[in-house]
Amino acid sequence: MKKNLILSLACAVLVLASAFALSSCGKKAEIAVVTDVGLLMDGGFNQGTWEGAEGYAKANGKTVQYYQPANGADATDADRITAMQTAIKNGAKVIVTPGFLQAAAIETVAKENPEVKFVFVDGWNFGPEYKNVTAISYKEEESGFFAGYAAVKDGYTKLGGTFGGGGTNPACSRFAYGFAQGANAAAAEMNKTVEVKISFKYGSTFGASTELATQIAGWYSNGTEIVFACGGSMVQSVISAAEATTNGKVIGVDVDQAGLSDRVLTSAVKGLAVSVEQVLGQFYAGEWDAKLADKTQNLGAAVDATGLPTASSSWRFATFTKAEYDQLFAKVKNGSLTIKNDIADNCDDVEFWAAVNTACANANISLDK
Amino acid sequence: MDTFVILIQYTILYAIPLMIVALGGLFSERSGIINLALEGEMIFGAFIGALVTKLIIAANPQLATSQWLLILGVIISGLSGGAFSLLLSFSAIRAKADQTIGGTALNLLAPAIVCTFGLILFNSEKVITGARFVIISSQYSEAMQNAMFNSWFGPILRIMFDRLYLTTYIVIFLFIALSIWLYKSKTGTHIRACGEHPSACDSVGINVVKMRYLGTTIGGALAGIGGYAYIVACCAATAESSVAGLGFFALAIMIFGNWNPILIALGALLFGFLKCIGVLSSQISFLSTLNLPMYFYNIIPYFIVLVVLMLSKRKSGVPKAEGIPYDKGAR
Repeated sequence: MKKNLILSLACAVLVLASAFALSSCGKKAEIAVVTDVGLLMDGGFNQGTWEGAEGYAKANGKTVQYYQPANGADATDADRITAMQTAIKNGAKVIVTPGFLQAAAIETVAKENPEVKFVFVDGWNFGPEYKNVTAISYKEEESGFFAGYAAVKDGYTKLGGTFGGGGTNPACSRFAYGFAQGANAAAAEMNKTVEVKISFKYGSTFGASTELATQIAGWYSNGTEIVFACGGSMVQSVISAAEATTNGKVIGVDVDQAGLSDRVLTSAVKGLAVSVEQVLGQFYAGEWDAKLADKTQNLGAAVDATGLPTASSSWRFATFTKAEYDQLFAKVKNGSLTIKNDIADNCDDVEFWAAVNTACANANISLDK
Repeated sequence: MDTFVILIQYTILYAIPLMIVALGGLFSERSGIINLALEGEMIFGAFIGALVTKLIIAANPQLATSQWLLILGVIISGLSGGAFSLLLSFSAIRAKADQTIGGTALNLLAPAIVCTFGLILFNSEKVITGARFVIISSQYSEAMQNAMFNSWFGPILRIMFDRLYLTTYIVIFLFIALSIWLYKSKTGTHIRACGEHPSACDSVGINVVKMRYLGTTIGGALAGIGGYAYIVACCAATAESSVAGLGFFALAIMIFGNWNPILIALGALLFGFLKCIGVLSSQISFLSTLNLPMYFYNIIPYFIVLVVLMLSKRKSGVPKAEGIPYDKGAR
């Protein structure tokens, strides 16, 4: 009897501890953030969304709560639906859902709960029967463009980029496409040819791995000077490969990642927090039906939602100047320079990059597949 | 040649956590406890190791490249991995619970601990230490650099000393020393005997409970060290709630190695080599002309495991009393 008691106690402690850690407590909150697969404080995408929601809530005296679907990186639509339903049960009036994987879950829950509003970050609107859904998407191609352009202008001629989502994540694919175009544009201005390697090989789960570090170490040893690490924890493996070389540099993503290592030259940032805050402001100002219902806002440099970090601690370029950046940024902002975003459904595709390569006369673009 | 050096360097970096964690599994299973918790022990060891590393670097930023700090991190991660494994050995030995379920519970618990305490302490599910322990060629004297890049044995020097993480040599030393200890020392023999025939051990006065606690705890410590070695070399010394499934991979290596340290070391190197050659196949000219998909290289180790398991069916090295709680009363 005593044995069983000890056993069940031990089990109960284990189960309780994991349950406590994985699901958030059932606190009432009007604003809910439901993540897709990544972790909340991922130092990137989800964190930016959360900081926007939290910032708005704090400034305006609203309650905010996040929900992470069960099963972590293997979360399914069913897990996300459960998380959203829990949020609604806890009194959510508006649910902010970062990540394009949420589409199916939002469609289901939004239909059942027409009174609850959904902000689909990195997503799209679903049509007139979904008046309670609004979407924000970003022109990642612009951020990627700035990063590629700046690196080449700063003297780098052999660039690489490793991207998450295995080619099927539209945001990462747009970053890659813009990065290649930016490198090409700068090379054309400087009248030289640069090399750009693109890979979607080891980022399908956005995680760090020995495989990714090995691949990038190989790139550096074959002459690549700077690598764009685009996707969640992948940046850690890229940094470890860079730090094992004499001069290898890294480009970060989503938020300013200069603090991770002195090898981070710059970051292709996306103004997640600002735009989430703005949408929540419009919702509470009663402007949902007029400005947000069934609409997708495609945010870019025009509203300062894309760019490079310009704080002096993050500005690590040797020759590329802030004046040059401002000039380029202004051109993209006023629309005189547009960056193409017609990506393939699956960008891990040799033919797509062969076409990009043909279009980019001053860059040799190749896909490491 | 450069790519070849990279291939060997990363084969070693891949194999190092695998072999030490697999040896940890071997210690535990040889003492009679099935250890499915290797993944969780790696995550926990890496987390506490990174936590201490981070706190020390926060107070003394100049220590971010100190090899002494790396050694301290290894010790801390070993201690914490061992302490964490006590949950498993307690449930398996004292409470006589099902060992596979206990191990699975630890695997669920460790990532949850990392997320919870990461969020509480740093408002992030990661522990970003900022450490930079790698030793690279430009840090050596000019004569050494000259030898590394301009002599016929240069590649060997670079494999040994360039892109070097001290964890590699610590792990190799621990691996050899503990393997010898397990097979040649009195206590080591006792541990192994308890995994084969615990009641016989008891009859000659060996404390089965103590030996099993010892085996599992050493196993947990080695898994913790493996977790730290992994994050130092491949994740820029950043701990998070995952070690990319290496713990389960190490379990497979242990079975592949038939519960034998020499075969485990060879198996880990083979797995690492095939993984890395798959990764680098598109960058090595004579392999890229073959144009085989990387999956081809990734399949080979599993294929070899199947063949080895089929051939070695008769003389399986699995400890006979593994997984059975020891009950003094049963005869």
